[in-house]
Amino acid sequence: MTDSNQTVFADATQVHGDAVIEMDHVDKLFGAFQALTDINLKVARQEVVVIIGPSGSGKSTLIRCINRLEEHDAGRILVDGIELSEDVKNIQEIRRETGMVFQSFNLFPHLTVIDNITLAPRQVRRMPKKEAEALAMELLERVRIPEQAKKYPLQLSGGQQQRVAIARSLAMKPKVMLFDEPTSALDPEMVGEVLDTMKDLAREGMTMIVVTHEMGFAREVADRVVFMADGQIVEVGTPDHFFQNPQEDRTKLFLSQIL
Amino acid sequence: MTTTPPQVARPPLYRNVNVLKWVFQLVVFFIVLAILFWLANNYLTRSQDLGIPTSFDFLDQPTSFDITGADFSPAEPVRNAYLVGIGNTIRISAVGIVFATALGILVGIGRLSRNWVVNKLSTVFVESLRNIPLLVIMTFCFLGIVLQLFPRIEEAWNLGGLVIVSNRGVSVTWFEGTTVAALLGFLFLGVAGWWLIARWRRGVFERTGAPTRAGLLGSSFLILVMVTGWFVLGATVTTPEVAGRAVAGGIRVDPSYFAVLVALVIYTASHIAEITRGSIQAVPKGQGEAGSALALSGSQRLWFVVLPQAMRIAIPPIGNQYLNLIKNSSLGAAFAYFDLTLVAQITVGNGKPAVPAFVLALVFYVVLSLITSTFVNLANRHFKLVER
Amino acid sequence: MTIDTPTLTRGFVARNWARKHLFRTPLDALLTVVFGGLSLYLIYRAFLFVFVNARWEIISSNLKLLMIGRWPNDHVLRVALAIAVLALWGGLIGGLIAGRQRAAGLSVAAGMSISQRVSDLVRRFGLMIATIVLLLLLTDTAGPWLMAIGAGAAGFAGYWMGRAVGARTLGKWMTRLGMLVLAAVPIVVYWYMVSAHPLGEWEGFLFNMTAATAGIILCFPLGVLLALGRRSKLPLLKWMSIAYIEFVRGSPLFVLLLLANVSLEFFVPASLAPSKPIRAVVTFTLFTAAYLAEIVRGGLQSVPRGQEEAAKSLGLSPTKQMFLIVLPQALRNVIPAQIGQFISLFKDTTLAGAALGILDLLAGAEAITSQPDFVGQGLIIESLVFVAFLFWVGSFTMSRESQRLEKRLGVGVR
Repeated sequence: MTDSNQTVFADATQVHGDAVIEMDHVDKLFGAFQALTDINLKVARQEVVVIIGPSGSGKSTLIRCINRLEEHDAGRILVDGIELSEDVKNIQEIRRETGMVFQSFNLFPHLTVIDNITLAPRQVRRMPKKEAEALAMELLERVRIPEQAKKYPLQLSGGQQQRVAIARSLAMKPKVMLFDEPTSALDPEMVGEVLDTMKDLAREGMTMIVVTHEMGFAREVADRVVFMADGQIVEVGTPDHFFQNPQEDRTKLFLSQIL
Repeated sequence: MTTTPPQVARPPLYRNVNVLKWVFQLVVFFIVLAILFWLANNYLTRSQDLGIPTSFDFLDQPTSFDITGADFSPAEPVRNAYLVGIGNTIRISAVGIVFATALGILVGIGRLSRNWVVNKLSTVFVESLRNIPLLVIMTFCFLGIVLQLFPRIEEAWNLGGLVIVSNRGVSVTWFEGTTVAALLGFLFLGVAGWWLIARWRRGVFERTGAPTRAGLLGSSFLILVMVTGWFVLGATVTTPEVAGRAVAGGIRVDPSYFAVLVALVIYTASHIAEITRGSIQAVPKGQGEAGSALALSGSQRLWFVVLPQAMRIAIPPIGNQYLNLIKNSSLGAAFAYFDLTLVAQITVGNGKPAVPAFVLALVFYVVLSLITSTFVNLANRHFKLVER
Repeated sequence: MTIDTPTLTRGFVARNWARKHLFRTPLDALLTVVFGGLSLYLIYRAFLFVFVNARWEIISSNLKLLMIGRWPNDHVLRVALAIAVLALWGGLIGGLIAGRQRAAGLSVAAGMSISQRVSDLVRRFGLMIATIVLLLLLTDTAGPWLMAIGAGAAGFAGYWMGRAVGARTLGKWMTRLGMLVLAAVPIVVYWYMVSAHPLGEWEGFLFNMTAATAGIILCFPLGVLLALGRRSKLPLLKWMSIAYIEFVRGSPLFVLLLLANVSLEFFVPASLAPSKPIRAVVTFTLFTAAYLAEIVRGGLQSVPRGQEEAAKSLGLSPTKQMFLIVLPQALRNVIPAQIGQFISLFKDTTLAGAALGILDLLAGAEAITSQPDFVGQGLIIESLVFVAFLFWVGSFTMSRESQRLEKRLGVGVR
């Protein structure tokens, strides 16, 4: 989180210091359907951006374009200065520098927890096994489930699985963490433990883009809140500004429906 | 702050994802092509060395063999023999499919019966036949039953004066004076009439609520049409009788055809029975319960709720069994049934080039399979549940 | 006054059951009488046949011929040894898997008592063991008995060892060495057998089993490649795969074998001159690959897309995504279908006898009815019943194990 004394630009395209993520006039079409229209967004280092909006507004599509799970059709996306294009080398590098946590966890069921975490560092960064396992145990301590290392994902609860997923992404030491509705598939009593983990991450200075419905999290942790509807960014602001004093009608409508 | 229209840096070709995909495809394609070329080259050069022709000219040459059961002379060109073979394959497949489906569905329902005897008997039928190779069953039917069990012509079994069984074949009461095609024509008319009657009665049911009785009316109409057709065409019945060392009258089902057909039917029926049972069991139990809650009787539940849904599930796997039956009919060649495979085999045995002869046969089987698949897919689409 | 209630209630229950299951309605009663009568008659005739009328000498005197064909008698010991080694090997692998499961706390067997374990094993393999004992009873020497006992002991020993090893984790080089050794064993056994008796002359049930095993193993690489090709979005690859799969699946295996018999040698350089079993196995491989491709394709579809996405977002290359994440899960999901395909191939190996003239179990059974001692006596029925029985036991046991596996895999672990 940035120092809360700094003024935060309401405009999505202004940031203090380095922009880790830059999206310029990005469009995305699924056949005839326009999922993203003229997206302009900059995310600064160590900033926590929370994206909210009704379902179908393009929130997931936006962050999935950042690590090329979806291909954008127009505009530019830059991650840490690297342009996201058809260049294989760029794509691979961007995927190494970003980590993604999915709504349905997507842990690999045929590998143990510790193998899930060490897989990418060993295969992609060519880390030796001992080093990778040490790193994995350290991360499991950080997410507070070191005792589950030898178990298989399906033996864990939903909350534990998601925390393992977070550890798995962190093992690649990414510059940015992308969260796609990380708590939406969890039973209510497990949402807290995952949000706590995410709050720890934010406190430690990780750059995060989080798509979520958890307004409490947004209020507490976000540096900026971005509201999307119908594939466009409607309004951006600090949490205080956003929840107390929304400007756009669409924003007001959405907030009235969920709060 | 306005941004200038974005300029995308073009990546070098060797790192471009799209280019790489095409390069990969082309490389694999050319490797496969190279392998095929090498194989073809081997084949052509060695055939040339041995003086074996590699074209399809053999189709116009005389066959030099007879085909039992068809009037076919050795002077006719090979292509005619192939046509006879295809006809025989289609004949045994079509008849086999009809009988196998009927028997299979009956046994499948039998496996779910509450009658202990019927249940266990069906289970034994299915579990024993499913696990024995078809060739073993066919060999047993031919060498064991027909040649072994069936009596010699002098002591032929006479079943009610309608069927005569011996190791020369089975002669069944049949009709004469007209063709199968003509009778099928009348059958088609009768079925079409039944369908129209069913539609009319359904309209009546919707307007007035009176029971449709479509089955009763439709089947009566069908019978009426068939009987009329019989007399119009001047058909008569012929019953088989033993006359010396042969059987006169009736239609003779020759031993190979009989054995192969029986084996195909019971083998395929055992698979269809499993599919039927599985699909009825796959209909959620709640469906039957909902039917009971709506005061539908047992047979109404079965007919209106369970069977329609079971059929939807069953059509693709049963269609697959039909394809298997068609392919399995090729085993008839091992028992002197003149299907397409035996024709090809004997053609090659008489010195015609092997690869073109067999490849032609394979192509026909593939085409036959594709045609059958298309019909099955049509049926499937017709019965699919409409979803969101 | 005491009333004799126990016997009364017992009689009552049986009558109730009969009423419910045999005579519920008039139609029911009719079916029971007709089919019941028919069944009793058939069982009676079958009994008569098997135990009274049949002349089983044709089988007992030809057992070796039916099982391993005309294997040279001085080398029969090799067969026995090979079977024992393969039993040990199989037991080892089974044990390793069981050990791994135990370590992860996933073992079902661990929760059972000894008597439960024994009854479970008897239920699963009792039929197969009974059949083996029956076959042994048909022989007249001690040799086969010793071989069977030896193989059984080897299998058990292998299982216990494997389980002990599987529970522990070994170092990287030990694991690699172990896997190399395990992969080498079947190859060494094969070479050992072939050096005594060339592959071109393998016959009998041995041929059926070896051809089926070789076919299913060898068809894997091609089958997986075809499945990947069919799923690919790249048009050339997709259409090549579809063409191969649809052509082979529409062709009868019998015709393909006939074709291979007369022409396989033309497609390869003259120096290779493939023997009949090789021609058969090549055809089985190319044939089964197309069916395996469809099975693997189903497996690939069953892996949730999220798995591929997670692997992608971790930076794994497409090849690594497929071979480390998607394919292992895909293959595991369709293990029952793969076993089903093997059973199918096992039964189809009989076609090699009819198409290529190989003296497999079925062809052998037909041939022995022409021996001078047995000719013209209609003993073909005994012969065929024996063949049918062997295939039935093998196929039935494998199907049942496959169903059991399916249930276990489907239940999940949590």
